Amino acid sequence: MTFPERAIGIKVSEAGWLSTFQDLGRENSEFMGVPCGGAADQHSAAAANILVGNSRKSTCLEIMGGRFAFTATQDVMCAVTGVPAEITVDGDLVAMWEPLCIPAGARVVLAKASGGMRNYMAFSGDLETARFMGSAAPESRMGFPQQLAPGQTLTLHSRYRGFTHPFLTQPLFRLPVPAPDFSPDVWTIDVVDGPETDRTPGIRKLLSSSHYTVGTKSNHVGLRLDGPVVHPEGLGEIVSHGVPIGAFEIPHGDELIILGRSRTLTAGYPIVAVAAKASLSMLGQASPGRKMTFRWISNAEAVEQYREQQRLLAHLEERVHALFAAVGLPVSAISAASPSPAAA
Amino acid sequence: MTTHTAYAERLHHPPELAAEPFGDSALMLRVKNDDADFRRTASSRLRDVLLEVRPYGVLDIVAGVESLLVEFDCLAVTHEQLAQTIRLAVAGKGLEPGGASASQSLFVIPMVVSEEFSPDLPGVAEELGLGSEAVLQQFSSSVLTINLLAAAMAPMMGGVQFPGQVSRCVEPRTNVEPGSVMVAGTNAIIQPFPGPSGWKVIGRTPLTICDIREDPATSYKPGDLVRFEVVPEGEWARLEGQFLRASAASRQEGGHGDLP
Repeated sequence: MTFPERAIGIKVSEAGWLSTFQDLGRENSEFMGVPCGGAADQHSAAAANILVGNSRKSTCLEIMGGRFAFTATQDVMCAVTGVPAEITVDGDLVAMWEPLCIPAGARVVLAKASGGMRNYMAFSGDLETARFMGSAAPESRMGFPQQLAPGQTLTLHSRYRGFTHPFLTQPLFRLPVPAPDFSPDVWTIDVVDGPETDRTPGIRKLLSSSHYTVGTKSNHVGLRLDGPVVHPEGLGEIVSHGVPIGAFEIPHGDELIILGRSRTLTAGYPIVAVAAKASLSMLGQASPGRKMTFRWISNAEAVEQYREQQRLLAHLEERVHALFAAVGLPVSAISAASPSPAAA
Repeated sequence: MTTHTAYAERLHHPPELAAEPFGDSALMLRVKNDDADFRRTASSRLRDVLLEVRPYGVLDIVAGVESLLVEFDCLAVTHEQLAQTIRLAVAGKGLEPGGASASQSLFVIPMVVSEEFSPDLPGVAEELGLGSEAVLQQFSSSVLTINLLAAAMAPMMGGVQFPGQVSRCVEPRTNVEPGSVMVAGTNAIIQPFPGPSGWKVIGRTPLTICDIREDPATSYKPGDLVRFEVVPEGEWARLEGQFLRASAASRQEGGHGDLP
């Protein structure tokens, strides 16, 4: 049972503090001087798209704080992931991290997000948006803000035609959802050695035994943390070089910076640690005031953690595809084909 | 010496590459050599080799001044495997500077010099022991090579014919206007979008050098050549906001041949 694609209007009546189009970021752009950007919490953004049968790389919405509300002209299926928040459909509470079947004209409200920065909302189908270097991800410095305004109507091209459970009006899906735990008071972020770790006596003990607090000047370029730092010894001037996402830099002042996906690509500061790839999504959710500490792991452990994180997403993807195929819900042809190399 | 011998020699003596893990998913590559110019040229060539060969697992590459950061999928390859593939690619292709490629373009970029647009010109002149006029003369007679695209596609260029190195600002500016032409060391850069910079500002071009509504967003690419031309302030209004494109002659003929 497949239907042709149709255009659906999604009227955004409230746009939160800052909401944008978003995806997993640009590919092959950094050698041209453009940071990859993309969802700071890649895990939640990918999961939102998977939950509605889309390719992980599809355009979704990133919602930061405040109230976000929309009404669609036709039935739509969406999913909301990220930090805990309250979602209602015509006033009734519904669950996060689940496919939601939204009837035409119903008012969907996302509010009261807590414990972190970002929510991701994905819709079954393709959201129409501008792209820069192949991606819908904002690059505000270069004049590509991608911000949503209240009153704006988004266009969704979807093959979804509504869905009701044969016995219960509200469909119940039991899916193996790898939702992160945002509840601890102090988040523990895993790190591996950086190039200057050994030149910075005491940094290992300091990072693993101290609490750091995310400062208010933090953004998608980097988190600025208050907490004890030590400076590397005996380093000459470091010639500007490329820096990976998650690099822990100690500039000249007493501040620790963890670089985000929209970092400036080169810098000349010592790198005393690098966040493990599997921890980057959590870092992408850290809001001002968030307390965190760090745990040193080996490179092999870091790769294993990331493999497990990707395995869980791939497992969810398989289950969604099987379920959607069984009940006649649309599945993106791209995602149904072959998963990205990272998921293999 | 026959071509064959040269090729074999290259295989036996590939430039030495240091490959250092930068976290679980990146490898920092540096060409080992005592000469900074050699390191710069070789890193630039290394970037081209990697873009051409595309070793398995590579996701993106960030060019530094004399290094390359290779970002990879840590589930596809390990640091060691990737380093080995890259060394093999380098052994096969070499890192000797290639001849001027056919696709190399020349950009002649107009630049206005004024008190407002050139706040660091007197300081740069003093540092170099020259007059402001002489600084501009040497700057505009230099043919620069775009070594890499830095933040927000800023063209970072080498080859300014100054008699010495220009230092950076003691206190970096928090915001430098787009179009600003800046120097540091014997390098130059143009600020494409507003943002911070610690480079010395000596002029401003009225042209738009990067526009994301264009595809591609810049006409220039690493390896292209640039010459600056100081134009009177009166030219500003006529040129303001025009998108920078390669000079027609260079695109037809290509390469160094048509340089004065």
